[in-house]
Amino acid sequence: MTQTFGDGSRGGGLFVPRSRALVWLNLAVTFVVAAISFGLGFWQGISAQVVILYTVVLAAVLFWLINYIAVIFEPRPSSLDTGSAPAAAGGVWAGNRVLIITMSVMLIVYLLITATVPSFRSLGNLIAFLLLEAILVFAFKVSNRFAHGRSAFIGLIVLLALIVISSFTINGFLSAPNIKAILLFAAFLGIACVGQTLVALLGGLDLSIPFVIGSSNIGLLFLIGLGVPSWLAVVFVLLIGATLGFLNGVLSYRLQGQALILTLGMGFAIAGLVQILTSIGSSFGGNVFGTVPKWLQNLAAMNGRTFGLAVPPTILLWIVIAIIVIVGLRYSAFGRYIYALGGNRRSAKLIGVSEFKYWTVAYTISGFSAALTGCLLLGWSGGGFIGVGDQYLFTTLAAVVIGGTSLMDGYGGYGYTVIGVLVLQVLSAFLIGIGLKYEWQQFIFGLLILPMVALYGRAPDIRAQV
Amino acid sequence: MSQSRASQNTYLLVPILLIALLLSTAVIRGPNLVSLSGFGSAIIVSAPLILATFSLVALAVAGRGTVDLAVGPLLAFINVTIVKLNGLGIVTGPFGVILVALGIGVLYQLFFALIIIFVRVQPIIVALSGFLALTGINLVILPRPGGTAPDWMSSWGLGNTIFSPVLLIVLLAIAAWLLFTMTSFYTNLRLMGYDERAAYTSGVRINVVRIGAHVIAGLFVGLGAICYTALISSGDPTQGTTMTLTAVTALVLGGVSLSGGRGGVAGGLLGALNLFLIGYVLATFNFGSTQAFVTQLFYGLILVLSLLLTLLVPVIGRYLYFISPFAAFVVLGCVVLGIMLYVSTRDTYGVAAVASDALKTNPDVLTRYLLLPPQSGSGVALPDLSPLQKAVFGFAAILAVLTLTVRVVVSEAVSVRLGAFIYVFVSALILLLFLVVGEQSHAAGIAAAGQLVGITA
Repeated sequence: MTQTFGDGSRGGGLFVPRSRALVWLNLAVTFVVAAISFGLGFWQGISAQVVILYTVVLAAVLFWLINYIAVIFEPRPSSLDTGSAPAAAGGVWAGNRVLIITMSVMLIVYLLITATVPSFRSLGNLIAFLLLEAILVFAFKVSNRFAHGRSAFIGLIVLLALIVISSFTINGFLSAPNIKAILLFAAFLGIACVGQTLVALLGGLDLSIPFVIGSSNIGLLFLIGLGVPSWLAVVFVLLIGATLGFLNGVLSYRLQGQALILTLGMGFAIAGLVQILTSIGSSFGGNVFGTVPKWLQNLAAMNGRTFGLAVPPTILLWIVIAIIVIVGLRYSAFGRYIYALGGNRRSAKLIGVSEFKYWTVAYTISGFSAALTGCLLLGWSGGGFIGVGDQYLFTTLAAVVIGGTSLMDGYGGYGYTVIGVLVLQVLSAFLIGIGLKYEWQQFIFGLLILPMVALYGRAPDIRAQV
Repeated sequence: MSQSRASQNTYLLVPILLIALLLSTAVIRGPNLVSLSGFGSAIIVSAPLILATFSLVALAVAGRGTVDLAVGPLLAFINVTIVKLNGLGIVTGPFGVILVALGIGVLYQLFFALIIIFVRVQPIIVALSGFLALTGINLVILPRPGGTAPDWMSSWGLGNTIFSPVLLIVLLAIAAWLLFTMTSFYTNLRLMGYDERAAYTSGVRINVVRIGAHVIAGLFVGLGAICYTALISSGDPTQGTTMTLTAVTALVLGGVSLSGGRGGVAGGLLGALNLFLIGYVLATFNFGSTQAFVTQLFYGLILVLSLLLTLLVPVIGRYLYFISPFAAFVVLGCVVLGIMLYVSTRDTYGVAAVASDALKTNPDVLTRYLLLPPQSGSGVALPDLSPLQKAVFGFAAILAVLTLTVRVVVSEAVSVRLGAFIYVFVSALILLLFLVVGEQSHAAGIAAAGQLVGITA
């Protein structure tokens, strides 16, 4: 799923606790839980093969997870006890500042929603909220034991919590169409986030993504309407997207501190230009009409089929892209150099990594992935609309940040972003499910970014910098 | 004037040059600008943008790459809150509304500052977070544009006269900033923006200074929201993103450094006026259905170009040290004033010699692309100046040039700061122009917009 946690020296990648008794205990716990789920499955009247399959999977995952947590909590032989507990009240505040602040923010949000949405006031929601707070405490306390991968761990815990709470409070949340929908929108967002992640690793940001998405969306339909073969039109739009990304990279290379503002301006200009080009000679200013080819519709529509399977190809495409990006970042020279540049620009330059090259390539990929998202969204909606990318203005950034990619020191990766994307989409589905409007969702997303960044993106105090 | 040292304000050269070009073009293309209602509506329309830009300037000077992207949504938030409270009949009086507006602005910015200082998250992330949250909550408060502004504001947004409360607010804001620059607090602020560690080690209480900068920014946003409410006399939750983009563009165009420590009210004002004029000039061309897209394209391009221009600031400082931005300002200001007077006092638009000087283009191009054909009946039809007025103007111009030249020589010899006297003097000159134009201007006039107060910056 993501990068391995810990430094790998504790039990390798398998996480086997040192004490034999503990392993047996874990096995017993796993067995009990698996048995309960087995019984529940038959009681719900699901077919036997499915129950057995799910039970086996659950048991395996649970066993690994419990072992893993046990390893994390094992006293390390090398480390000494770090002093005695500090003074009670002050110590609690100093050690858990972020946790307390996050919990109080959540409490405020909960009270706000409860006060404004009458249908929200139910016992189930209260229980769900308390559960969420408990999970938060757990995540924070456990995450303090990580040197790396903290944010991914917290992200996964939050994701799990969200799924649990949603399935409790919303009927049909775990139904196949709903999961498919969540994954489909996650795929759109995830593909758009590929470039944003790479750029963020290098310490830049790309705000032109939504405009490129919207532009490629209407541009592709316009080209198809002109009679260009659809595959050629897609290739052309992708190339244009990559070119725009390259331009972004070249222009912002000297202005790295202001890359965000520059790309925003570029995006604005691109959207304006494409709208001018597509509305010349048409009486509908800015609106493009045309028919989307069948294969493109199948690619991204909810009822799309992949080789006969009832899964939209976009989801599989996202999985493939995610694997390529994660593996590429971890094992290829290109990926390692990106981390090197993000971590310490100067050192990387001294060992001969060309900063300009990687900076522009990251932006080029960003433009390309945004254009690809625009094309896929055209297949999904079936009509060109310049505003289709608007919601991606900050959601790409939010996904990167919530996933745990640091915007400062080249720490993170695409695996983290995938977690972030899933958290955002599940949260959004949950909020829609409890009947919140899109505006409230935006509000909550906005408030969610801060505690997430506060977890791992904090700058050192000025006293530490002098 | 010392050879070794460039003026501190060389970065102002670009916006000054640009505003001269734009203002000339705007006046030639849309002569309605130079009239009482033209100036009035220009002030009303550009006031929210100017104040939003000031707010960004105060934060940008504070360093750490603080670009408050939430400025537009915050302005809209205050706007819809005022309208909503007014609709519910809770807060309707002038005192209460102003208190609410400034209070919300200051509270938000205070919160922002505390997060930056104590949670130590990058300001840009906090700003993004605020952007999202405020955009959402605006639509919750007011799902679609509507509502009514308080009654006592109804006369503010007419824009048929120059001296409106909105102008007063803008002038007060400028004056307050200029007074603020005389304090040591401002020096500390700039030091902190330029190099936070140096400021910290030299004993500046950076947390206090940062909070102060944010409070000032909050006040400006509150004022901007009041002007915006007066302008549209209703609530509009949807304009936040556009306002943010234009304000950030104005900030960059005004030569304010986004990395901190450089910038001031003059740059912010020039940048905001430039953006307003760009919109105005584009509106005089008829692009048909693509008008909005062309404007969007130009805003984006100008933002990118002005960012790239900031790379040239050190170069300008190195090679153009002998040009004082202030002198350039005065010279170009005189040229533009001449064009304005010429355009407003002639009802035929021949090729003005001054205009061609200023625009550096040949007459053919000028007549083909820049000049509107003489309109019959509509538009301004001003009589020629009386001899007395000509004499007054001539005298004023000579006096101005003499005084200002002396003043420039003195100021450049001693220091590079512009004294407050200059602002007062130039403002007085321009007010004189207003008076003359206003006297002659017939009340009728298309509510086109334009701006002249700008060159008083």
